[in-house]
Parts: sequence; C-alpha cells; structure tokens
Amino acid sequence: MVLCYSRNKCATVVDREDGSLLVRAGVEDTLFTGAVEMVVRVPDLEIVSVEGEVRRAFHEECREATSLLHEAVGLRIGSGVNKAINDLVGGPKGCPRLADLMLECVDQVILRFTFPRIKEVQSVKEEDRVEATREMLRQNPALLGSCVAFAPGSSLLRDLEIQR
Amino acid sequence: MSLLSFARSKIVGVEHPEQDTLLAHGILDDNIYSLELDVEVKLPLFEITRVEGRWRRYTTVECPHALAKLQNAVGLRIVDKEFGRKIRQVVGKEGCTHFANLLLECCDGIRQAAVYGEWVESQGKRFAQTKRDYCRSKFETVPGLRNSCIVYSRMSKEDF
Repeated sequence: MVLCYSRNKCATVVDREDGSLLVRAGVEDTLFTGAVEMVVRVPDLEIVSVEGEVRRAFHEECREATSLLHEAVGLRIGSGVNKAINDLVGGPKGCPRLADLMLECVDQVILRFTFPRIKEVQSVKEEDRVEATREMLRQNPALLGSCVAFAPGSSLLRDLEIQR
Repeated sequence: MSLLSFARSKIVGVEHPEQDTLLAHGILDDNIYSLELDVEVKLPLFEITRVEGRWRRYTTVECPHALAKLQNAVGLRIVDKEFGRKIRQVVGKEGCTHFANLLLECCDGIRQAAVYGEWVESQGKRFAQTKRDYCRSKFETVPGLRNSCIVYSRMSKEDF
C-alpha cells in the first residue's frame, strides 16, 4: 500500500549567547512547505521576534498569511498563549498551518526547560528514580494533574504532600 | 558553535486502503520521548474507529498507563469544532500530552488527505475542475473547511 499523504515536521531550540532562545519549526508535507523562526527572551519568555515563510502551498494566497506572524511579538509563553496565537495567526483571516508551527515552537520552549529536570531524574539509580520524580513534583506542583503519571491514583503521588 | 538544546521530530504517513477508510501512522521522537501511533478514520463521518499506540522511550513507571486512555478517542469525529480540545483532555490530560500531540498530528494528516487526496491523484490525468472549484466541492463533504483560513474565507464569500 503506497501513501496518499506524508508529513515531516521538525522543531529545534538553540540557546543563544545572550541567554535568549532561537526556536525553529518547519514542516514539509505532500502539499505544503513552511517554517517559523522565533526568538524568545529568558526568563520572562517573551516572544521578541517572529519570522516565517510558506515556500509551497496548494493556494498561492497562503503566502499572504506570513504577514500576520509579527502580531505575536510581545506575547509571553504561558497561560493563554495558545489561544492568542490561534486568534492572531490562525482562524478565518489567517493560516492554521502557520499558527500550528508557532504552537510547535511554544511547545519546544517548554520542553527545553523540562528536559534538564527529566535528565536529572533519569541520571539517578533506578531504585531512587521514583523519589527523584516526587522531588521534581514538589518543586513543580503545576505538573500535578497534567497527565496520567501525575493524576490522583498514580503510584508516584502516594502519600506525597505538596504545598501548592 | 551553538548546540541544540532540544529537538523534536514527527513523521506522519497516511494510507487510503478503502474508499471509506484512511489510516495514519505517526512517529514522535525527541530528546525525552519516543512513541508511535496508528489511527483509523472512517468516512464520511470522519470518525475515529481504531487507535493503537506504542512507547519506545518514556520517563516514569506510570507512563505505560497512558496507552489505555487512547481508546477515549474512539468514536470522536476529527472534523468536530471541539475535537482538538477534547483530545487534549481525554487523551492528553487524562493520559499523555505527547500521545495527544501525535494523535492530533495524525488526524490533521488524515484531514489533509481527505481534502486534497483526489486532487493529488488527478495530477497528470485530465481533470476539468479548477483548484477553486475542487475546493468548493469539498465544502460539502468536509465539515469545518468553509471559513477555516484566509483562502477558504474568501471562497466562502464568493459563494454568496
């Protein structure tokens, strides 16, 4: 069976010398090639610049939507940012594909900061890993309820006291 | 030289084995997680009829329990307005946000295949419809397409 559609998507983060993050997300699929690149200031996670391009699309007019990307400059990565991006860049007057690439960049920023903590937990001996995960939860109570591992009933939360 | 501090790749492939069936296979791989999904969607309702997931790399002893939560997606329609929000809740928050992410990627691939597949197939053959007429015809069969972006909003206005 041959494929009728294929998609490749890649997103990366680079820590820049000034402490800010350079975040890129690109997609190449049967119908579309596009990319978004943003710079995010640390520690307030404000989006200080956004650029993007649509290299290939089903409709020529899709390229017009790249002009909307700059509307996201000034947004901070945190609560409400996904809705703001969808409203400003996606939706009936925008391009959901470009909004999706921006949201991909936002995810990468969050994962960039999650990664060192996970790496630290994974680096301890296997028998100490549950306690290391619980310590990570004590330090980041916002993770509680975010997935099945951190939901009520999880073995990781048994007798765990956390001040929220 | 600057090193990457994080990288994520996603690959989605869609097959069309039957007139009324689209199948997607997706892979997500990043510095932390590695996972795979198979999703089956039936037309014309765009309903998810089967989902199967596999972990390759995860972080806690509880992560494997997220696989069962994938079944919460069965019966949902990928073209529903609230589909993304529902998946992020019943597959993501109740299961795993990364599986929810890959499931939405797969379903978007299926949607793209459903909208543009016939056009792609027609390339190189005689095809009377213009791109605009082709897309307008899809307004009737793919819910949610009308007014979904700058181009389809213009086409929707032309219709009235």
